[in-house]
Formats: sequence, C-alpha cells, structure tokens
Amino acid sequence: MGIISLEKADQLLWLGRYTERVFTTLSSFFKYYDKMLDVDEEAYKKFCDSINIPSQMYQDREDFISTYVYSELDPNSIYSNMLRAYDNGVVLRDEISSTTLSYLQMSLNCMEKGAQSGAILYDLQPVIDDLYAFWGCLDDNVEDEECRNLIKCGKYLERLDLYMRMDYPYRLIEKEYNKFANRLNKIGVAYSLAEADRLCRIISLGEDWKNHYQEALNALWNMF
Amino acid sequence: MKELVNHMEGINRLLARYGVKFGIYKNGTFHEQLFPFDPLARVITSEEFDYLEKGLIQRVDALNAFLRDIYSKQQIVKDGIIPEDFIFSSKGYLPQCQGICPPKEIYSHISGIDLVQGKDQNWYVLEDNLRIPSGASYPLIARELTRRASPKTFQDKKIRDNRDYAQMLKGVMDYVNTGGINVVLTPGRYNAAFFEHSYLAERCRAVLAMPNDLMVENGRLYYQEYHGKQLVGTVYRRISDEYLDPLCFEPESLIGVPGIMDVYRNGHVALINAPGNGVADDKGIYYFVPHMIRYYLKEEPILHNAPTYLAFYEEDRKKILDNLSRLVVKDVSEAGGYGVVFGNALSQEELNHLADTIKKEPRRFIAQEVIDFIDLEIVEGDHTVPRKADLRAFVLTGEKTMVWASGLTRFSRNPDSFVVNSSQGGGG
Repeated sequence: MGIISLEKADQLLWLGRYTERVFTTLSSFFKYYDKMLDVDEEAYKKFCDSINIPSQMYQDREDFISTYVYSELDPNSIYSNMLRAYDNGVVLRDEISSTTLSYLQMSLNCMEKGAQSGAILYDLQPVIDDLYAFWGCLDDNVEDEECRNLIKCGKYLERLDLYMRMDYPYRLIEKEYNKFANRLNKIGVAYSLAEADRLCRIISLGEDWKNHYQEALNALWNMF
Repeated sequence: MKELVNHMEGINRLLARYGVKFGIYKNGTFHEQLFPFDPLARVITSEEFDYLEKGLIQRVDALNAFLRDIYSKQQIVKDGIIPEDFIFSSKGYLPQCQGICPPKEIYSHISGIDLVQGKDQNWYVLEDNLRIPSGASYPLIARELTRRASPKTFQDKKIRDNRDYAQMLKGVMDYVNTGGINVVLTPGRYNAAFFEHSYLAERCRAVLAMPNDLMVENGRLYYQEYHGKQLVGTVYRRISDEYLDPLCFEPESLIGVPGIMDVYRNGHVALINAPGNGVADDKGIYYFVPHMIRYYLKEEPILHNAPTYLAFYEEDRKKILDNLSRLVVKDVSEAGGYGVVFGNALSQEELNHLADTIKKEPRRFIAQEVIDFIDLEIVEGDHTVPRKADLRAFVLTGEKTMVWASGLTRFSRNPDSFVVNSSQGGGG
C-alpha cells in the first residue's frame, strides 16, 4: 500500500519484535528442556537469569515448563508474547495480507491447543515451522518495502537484544547486528543516531564488546 | 451437498487458520470465537434469485429515494404518505443531516435486507439494515475455503460465483469518491466485527484506519502517514452515527473523527453509509416501505413485508392488544434480535405488563404476524436437524443498484427459537 500511519509503523516494528521473541525464546527453551531431561534439572534458572526473569517465579522444572510456555497469566511466557505478536499482526491484515497472517494465527492456534502428546518439543515444533513460514510469506507477499523493513528492523533488534543477553557467540551477534543496521538505514522512521553510533562502536570492538555489555543493551533499548 | 458435509472438518480447520472470528462481550470481557459454519449449503435456484434480485433492487432504490427526500424536501410527508410525527420521533432521524446531499446523492450504499421464506414458499422482508449492515465477509471467505476443501462440489454443480463482493464494494467506493484514498474506518481491534473490517479493507485494497489515523485540516479529511498525509475521498465507516463526530453528535465519543461531518456536509468526502440512514430502517418505518415503492417508483412492491401493525395507529393498536398472545412484538429502538417478544411465550401477567407498556408508549412498538418460516437442515454432531433460518441479502448501490449473488444465512441454535442473530448465538 505504501500508506502507513505512525501507529501502524509502531505495530509493524512490534510485530517483528514479538514474533522474534517467541521464535528465539522457544528455540532456546528447546535446548534447555533437553538439558533438563537428564543433565541439569534446574537448568531453567540459568535460562531465566539470562533474560531477566526471576527464576523463583517457578516452583520447579515442571512448573517452569507449563507456566513459562503456556500460561496467559505469566507476562513473560512464550504464550503471552505470542498473544502480543498476534495483537499487533491482526490489525495489520491490510498491510501484510491474510495469507501471511494465517501463519501467525496457526502458531497461536497450536499454542492454544496446549500440550497434546506429552512430548512438548514435538507439540511445539509447528510454532517454529509456522513462524518460518510467516517470515517467508511476508517476503513473498508484502510488496511494500517500508512495511517489510519495519518488521525486519523489529525482528533483528529483538534478536540482537536476546542474543546479547543469552550470551550467544560474538560471530552470531555481529551477524545479527549487520542485519539490524542494514534495516535501520532503510526504515525512514526517526531513531537516535547517537545510540546507533554507540552500538556500532561497541560491536566493532569484537569479543571485547562484552566489556560494554550494559551500554550496548541501553543503546539498543533507547534507539527508538 | 454430502461432499461438503464430508469436508466439514477441513473447512473448519481452514476457518481457524484464517482467524474467521467474531467478538462478543460477556460480563464486560471481550471474547472472540470462530464463526460457526454449517456445511449444508442453502440452495437458492437461479430463478428464485432473479426474482429476489428484482425485488431487492426495487426496495433499496425506494429506500434511497426516501432518504434523499427526507433529508431535503420531505415531499412524502407533505403528500401525507407517512405521518410527520413518525419521521421526526424516530431515533434514526438526525436533524444534523438535514440538507446534506451526499456525493452522487446515494445514502445507502450497502443495504442488508433480512428475508425469510415462509412455508407457503413466499419470501418476506423482515428488516432493512441501512446503517452498518455486517456479515458479508463470512460468506465471502467461506466460499473461498469451501472451494478449496471440497472442489468436487463446485465441479459437479452449477453454482454462481460469489467471490466478487470486494470488487463490487470497491466499485461503489470509487464511484462516490471525492478525490483521495479509500479507507475502512474501524472503531478498533476489540469491535465484534473487527475481522470483517480488516478483511474487507484488504480485499478492497483500501486502507484500514483507526479513528486516530484520520484528521480534518482546512476542510478536508486526511489519513496521517508517518511521513506525511493522504487526502481521503471515501470512508467506509464501521462506527455508528452517534460516535462518528464528537463535534456533531455524542461529544464524549473517543472513537470519532472531530470535524468529519463538516467535510462531508461540504461534499469533500463520501461516507458509506450516509449518517442518518437509521430513519429508513426504523422498525416503524418498515411498515411504510411498500408505500414508498408506490410513491417514488410508481411500481407495485415485488417483495412482501411480514403483515405488520403499528401501535401508533389506534385501529392497529386495538388489533395488537386483542391478539397479543399470538403476535410477535418488536421494540423499534432495539436491534440485533433484542427487544423481540413472542406473545405466545409470555405468561398472562407478562402479557398484561406488555399491553400497558404499549398503551403508554405506542410509538415504540410494532407487532407482526408470526411467519411460519421454513426450516433448513443443519449439521449437529453426526446428524442433521431442522432449524429456523433467515437470509441477509447484500445490496450495493453505486452507479447502479446490484444484488450480491450470495448472502448470509443465519440459523437458530435452539430448536424452539426464531432468533437467528449471531450476537445471540446463531450460526451461519
């Protein structure tokens, strides 16, 4: 369409952020779940710490698994983030198309079905698959470049934020930073040049970026 | 038909995939639920549709002529066809709209006419909806999905294609456009019909706008982009008249666009449908629609009204009070299936109370003979059951008046009920 209001621009950015939050936290949950099976029953605490969720919120492994994944009452849960992604997506049907939105809807439907088979990773695999399809469909169906740039800018901002907090290897952080910076230059929405410069400077330090961990996160959070 | 039933699960899966939902408020909380779809299609033969089409075009043309007249010369009142009091005491009559001539002089661009078919095979019009008739998106997407889930049904039967609603609607929007973009104005995400608003915007290639996205500047309406503004030429608004413009109607409305009525009054934007249409779909005015057809078009009505009595007229009031236990009484100020009372379902005490209310406020009520309308088979569990059902036909007026070759059939969930509205649990 090429006709995007300020509110829609905001929703596009947050649609990107929340879909990515679901994707990356779920992917990470998969790894920690596997670890909790027979290596470290309390591995979830490390996971919670990495993304600033108080781990004492959950009584034990089982509580974490059910609450963090499926609870609508837990604002940190993957399901709560999925709802936020959906709330932003559903008002953008005219921009992103019903076909693209349907993949988000299917991810949500899958989560709403809850645990089906007792094999949680198996039950939740379609969420990951549908989110991949959502992004692919977005690229294929959405003609307006501004619209795609805004969603992707949100997506890479969120990914960078989570990767930094979850202590991902520097090469991955650098890769995601490059994707983010590329989109940031194209969105046409006002952002802080000073914070963008600060982030660029920190990332260019290589492995030493960690010495400026909090400053990097602040730059990211204050970008818009 | 059997083919469709066999694919019911697949169709419902597709409806869930595309989020075909409508919202309801229960105890102050918003809930969304999937649109209840019944796979047993209602069959309207081509001959029958041709007859309905003629009758519906005639009716809507007369209603548009009536609105044009009422908000200008009021000749129908001067000629004594409709009593003056009946117009001006109607809640739907908006004095703020007096003298406004909308673009291309069209008032009801989208008319939802509710019909039932009696057991005598005659079709009766139950209600005209000329304000914001909703529901077209459901049969529209249902056809898309049923064709996908059950292609053989469409291969083997000669079924008229109804997938052109969005093109028809876009045609109407373009025709009345005063210069600028087309927008669908929704009150927001938590409106009961939000799916429809967003789906129709997408399909018509219009911009879905929230009230805050629109602003009036120098006598023109604009859509505020994040790096500029776009002139708006047509607004398909899904906001009721009273909330549309806080400067003109309800001053506390937070979902309106301040000043939009001035822009409209000066002919710089088209509003679909025109504000003030409520005067023509008032349940009391319904009684006079056949008179309008004769008056404006000099034709005999093709479609029948259900036999109706107006409590406002003394003779009719007496008939109503004498036959209260067998009539259906409707409060003209209510909509969505509310304010409808079947006399045969009331106790003597309730009948007495209703009779007193009618005597006190005769303008508020009409009474109709109960039409024994046909049952349609619907699927319930693994068998079929008969249920009462109506048909909402969608009539679009742009360069000419056209009937969409489709419609929304709503059925009652309850075996003993005649109430089919989705807001009261009915399906489609």
